[in-house]
Amino acid sequence: MSSLTGFRDQSFLDKISILNEVSMGKDIADLDELLDLFKNPIGDTSVDYMVVTALNGVLSSDEKSVVDLLSSDNEKIRVLCIRLCGEFKFKTASPFLVSLAESTDDSDLLFEVIVSLSKIGGAESVGLFRSNITNDDDLVASMCIEVVGTFKDEDSLDALSAIIIRNNEDANYEVCDLTTWKAVEALTSIGSGASLSFIVENLHHRNPTVRRVVTDCLTDLGAPAVPYLQNVITPDAEKDDMILAANVLGFIGDKSGLEVLMDALDKKYSTDSSVNYAIYEAIGNIGTMQGVVSLIDGLEVDDELITLAVLTGLDRQVNHGVIKKMTEMISQGGSQAGKIIRAVVTSKALNIFAGLYNEGKIGRFMMNAVVASKDSEVRVAFREKLTEIGGEESTADIARLPEMEETGGKRALAVDDSRSMLALYRSILTSNGYEPSIAENGQEAYAFVEQGDEFDVVITDMNMPVMDGMELVSKLRLTDGFEEIPIIMVTTESETSQMELAKKTGVTDFITKPFTPNQLKDKIAEYVS
Amino acid sequence: MPSDKGKALMKVELAKPFIKAAVDVLSMMAMITPKPGKPYVKKGKTAVGDVTGLVGITGDMSGTISITFTKSCAVTIVKNMLGDDVQDILQDVQDAVGEITNMISGQARAGLVEQGLTFSGSTPSVIMGDNHSISHMASTPIMAIPFSSEAGEFTIEFSFE
Repeated sequence: MSSLTGFRDQSFLDKISILNEVSMGKDIADLDELLDLFKNPIGDTSVDYMVVTALNGVLSSDEKSVVDLLSSDNEKIRVLCIRLCGEFKFKTASPFLVSLAESTDDSDLLFEVIVSLSKIGGAESVGLFRSNITNDDDLVASMCIEVVGTFKDEDSLDALSAIIIRNNEDANYEVCDLTTWKAVEALTSIGSGASLSFIVENLHHRNPTVRRVVTDCLTDLGAPAVPYLQNVITPDAEKDDMILAANVLGFIGDKSGLEVLMDALDKKYSTDSSVNYAIYEAIGNIGTMQGVVSLIDGLEVDDELITLAVLTGLDRQVNHGVIKKMTEMISQGGSQAGKIIRAVVTSKALNIFAGLYNEGKIGRFMMNAVVASKDSEVRVAFREKLTEIGGEESTADIARLPEMEETGGKRALAVDDSRSMLALYRSILTSNGYEPSIAENGQEAYAFVEQGDEFDVVITDMNMPVMDGMELVSKLRLTDGFEEIPIIMVTTESETSQMELAKKTGVTDFITKPFTPNQLKDKIAEYVS
Repeated sequence: MPSDKGKALMKVELAKPFIKAAVDVLSMMAMITPKPGKPYVKKGKTAVGDVTGLVGITGDMSGTISITFTKSCAVTIVKNMLGDDVQDILQDVQDAVGEITNMISGQARAGLVEQGLTFSGSTPSVIMGDNHSISHMASTPIMAIPFSSEAGEFTIEFSFE
């Protein structure tokens, strides 16, 4: 006799302890009583909850009963058993579940069955998942996309690619569909040559969220993604594709990516400044000794932005050899030496500064550049470094640093995920009398606004992690006091397809990378008097 | 493998019980018939709307779930729930949205138990203010499901680490 006989007449506490015993005992003799309690609940949430747990326990060891109950005429029991089949991987349920999925037109039930089958696994259900990738119900479709990804089903490749392509069409690119996100993940997880080549092609998808998802997936994939990114870094590649691929190689940080990047520099794949900037920045991110050699070579390039990228990278892995080489280069004098010294200050390359500080004249030149800087953050940073270095000379140098002066009171917000670009903005803005606030993405930038800061102008990059420029602009335009302020978006030439969307979102004007400090200054002056 | 990493864990199967619970709770309590729209993915961490109920989930996975109503939708729901007994509309909206969020979270978690997943939910917090934005806990992409109903529009957002 089941211990559940007369259960409904027991007191609350007795009910609880009986159900506890039933859960532990897992005795099939309790099944009928439990099913009755499940079909006709007591009405007390905690007891009913325990009935489900007890049923789970009893049925977990009885595959046959569960499979039989899949044909129960009670819907609640059917759904419970569908879930149990998945949880306990009851393989004998698969044929029934597959045919149930094929015959039902209830998308909630279909969803349950697909979740269950995905846990049971096995080749016989892959066809079902594949055929539902394009189901009208996006949740069913997304679920199936996840599963074909987990099963690495190469036959789903065309259907998955079609989803991402559709989301890139004129009428559909403004929102990233859930199915697109899942399709990018699934294709990455399938990991075949064809699927990864397709993913890399979508680094330049028109929707910014899709681009971010693609970048994240490739970064997570790591070294296996490098050969596919290498295919994009070729002499005749599109400029933007090369930049995005170089960025991802930097994020991945694998040594194999370094060879690709160094090759691109050696063979001069691109003469474009922003491409080479991205390559140097990525080399700096990968950070190996071999990369340091390329970075040092990069110091010879007469391009302010590249010098900043190189110094930002070198500062992270500075060593005796780096300092020695830099001393030699700067000692040769000339305009490039002056540019390097100023860039050390602008990029706040404090470790390099500390290394060069005691190199006689070079140390003095650098110190003069620090003193000449109008950027209060630069002064604060170098003041701290000098205190750390210690000694008579540095005490005297600290005294040379002027105290903060009031700026003209104009404030600018600069947003970019590249540290070198931010350093450049700081330098341009402070030397033009602005007090700059800088942020590495839209989210950080918006935090300034939320804490009540006001700005005369906002300069923002388009592609950034966490929150991109487009979303930042749309949020700013909805914020009191930011409806009208000038927002200048920094783009690369080939992002023109995005410019219309950006304009609609509320961007005031654009400036194309690369630009000279004067070009940015003039652009700002057009809108801020 | 990417499937072992954080963002790949935002499984659609976790979201489904919450969507179903939202429809159940709102049709039962507020007598409206919400229709889910096309789900999409957001970057950034923020939901924008007028009234948001937000609940944190911990257990086999952790994350946040929010339900954000337009002002008119929230007010209609409160009127449907309380009838003519609305006294202080702000206070009542705050209470009602908190209660709805709590019920949705509770019902959905009960559903997840049947799939062998246990979660506990925090007490919901309610954020009010025209066009406010709220932060989700996770830094992963956020899955959003827009709903339309005769009372107006609302959005459920999920973010799981």
